[in-house]
Amino acid sequence: MKVTPVNNTHPDILALITTLKMAGITTIILMLIGTPLAWFLAKMQSRAKVFIEALVALPLVLPPTVLGFYLLLLFSPQYLPGQIWQQATGQQLAFSFSAIVIGSVLYSLPFVVQPLQKAFEQLGDDLLEAAAMLGASAFDRFFTIVLPITKASFITAASLGFAHTVGEFGVVLMIGGNIPGETRVLSIALFDHVEAFDYAQAHIISISLVISSLVLLSLIYLLNRPTKNKRINQRGLIDG
Amino acid sequence: MAELALNFIVQHDDFLLSVDEKISLCGITGVFGHSGSGKSTLLKVIAGLEKQAHGTLSIDNDELLNSATKTFVAPQQRNIGLVFQNSRLFPHLSVEDNLHYGQKRNKNCVLDFSEIIELTQLKPLLGKAVTQLSGGEQQRVALARALLAEPQLLLLDEPLSALDDRNKITLLAVLEKVKQQLNLPMLYVSHSLDELQQLADNLLVISSGKVSHHGDIHEVIHQLTTNNEILHQTSLSLTVKSHLPEYGLTSLALGEQQIFIACDHEPNKAKKVRCIIAASDISITLHEPIESSIVNHLFGTITCFDKSDKQVLLTVTCSEQKFFVTITTWSAKRLSLTIGQSIFIQFKANAVRSLR
Repeated sequence: MKVTPVNNTHPDILALITTLKMAGITTIILMLIGTPLAWFLAKMQSRAKVFIEALVALPLVLPPTVLGFYLLLLFSPQYLPGQIWQQATGQQLAFSFSAIVIGSVLYSLPFVVQPLQKAFEQLGDDLLEAAAMLGASAFDRFFTIVLPITKASFITAASLGFAHTVGEFGVVLMIGGNIPGETRVLSIALFDHVEAFDYAQAHIISISLVISSLVLLSLIYLLNRPTKNKRINQRGLIDG
Repeated sequence: MAELALNFIVQHDDFLLSVDEKISLCGITGVFGHSGSGKSTLLKVIAGLEKQAHGTLSIDNDELLNSATKTFVAPQQRNIGLVFQNSRLFPHLSVEDNLHYGQKRNKNCVLDFSEIIELTQLKPLLGKAVTQLSGGEQQRVALARALLAEPQLLLLDEPLSALDDRNKITLLAVLEKVKQQLNLPMLYVSHSLDELQQLADNLLVISSGKVSHHGDIHEVIHQLTTNNEILHQTSLSLTVKSHLPEYGLTSLALGEQQIFIACDHEPNKAKKVRCIIAASDISITLHEPIESSIVNHLFGTITCFDKSDKQVLLTVTCSEQKFFVTITTWSAKRLSLTIGQSIFIQFKANAVRSLR
């Protein structure tokens, strides 16, 4: 997963491309892992549920550098995960694009799992049982009942996962370093400019991030306005 | 005739449902019980929505559950329909798409879509969003949706309990038409005997997690009455003799005698009218009350005399039909009633309840 550096590309544009690529791939992986995990948590009744929920939520409270520190150790060739990766791919995992994607997935996981889990819990079993009694298999029920009804939560989860990954700094710094075209993302480029007292360039990156994040979050809130969802009474319509 | 064979237990924390019963799948079998008796759990086991069931369950030779061989057929593969208490329509689909949901997933459908729409009177609602429907309309859509999936057995879990009286009567009439036109066996769970008495051919009673009675609906209601398990009542199924539109009365044949009931429109003469008379609404006279405003007086014989604290439950047989009558011990003493005595029972036309 190498980003090919183009010689005459502006370093900040290159950082933007790296950032978007990292956030895009991370979001796809997050949706693929987060959806079954959220489903599992929503349906789980065992006592271990609280522990798994806490584990998923950990990145919300932990300094990103703590996560980054442990990942750095695990990714290095001295530890088993790093060794396995090196044997399988022939490349070192630490300070690679793959490393920052794996780090981002863990770091943004709660932003995807929590809205989905809440949506699945609200949906309940009533409509799914009704669909089963009409002959729909589990996959069929997911695509014809769950997905259309919780669509807004899926969009929210993906957007939050994406936005949060764009905004990360600590984890990337610890496990990615600062390799242009590979691990140098916008937040790190910004840090570089400030360190070099290049405030003009720092301003450009900062204000673009502020505006684009604001636009994205506004869209999410627009999508989740209560009027959109309140009509859908998941427990069956007669009660409502 | 297909047969549903049940032999299982379901154990929750402080609740045990234990059933060993064979139900012949023909017409409508009512399942009656008080809340918490386990009647809804029974339906869930048959539907496959209750994972805790241990034992066996089969329809003819089709094994749907067998704990010994770890057989468990998933609900979507059982070809059993279920109409829930709350309609559970899919809120993101239109009425029409809700109706097609089950039909699309049925590979060998033979039922005509428009025929079912006609039967359930849904034509004007097809284009609507399900959120625009009233409770009664929602239940009719839910019923049609289940019918269109063409199940081999239809389960109904208190389908009328969330509806007002007017909607109850509409849906009851629809259910009765469905019963006549489609050859579809149904299991109908309810805590309302009135509802079941209108529709069901057989009645299965569940109390405290066990089947206590199972048989012909009228016989079971009479057993429950003599056992003091329900409000004492007489359950009847009689043919229409004539209709008197100017008085709003219909007369029903009871052997040589007749019973008048209040009825605004002429009932269908081809089928029997089902009605219930509460035992407390019937009184006894020793001579025929010719000069009385009470229209119904039947000649009969006291066949059973069951005295309790302050009242007496009499069984009076009139033209081979049992009637249950409760009177005070004071009246029983005053009239010196005894078994074998010939008397008249009398009740108003309005005392005869019929849900129509």
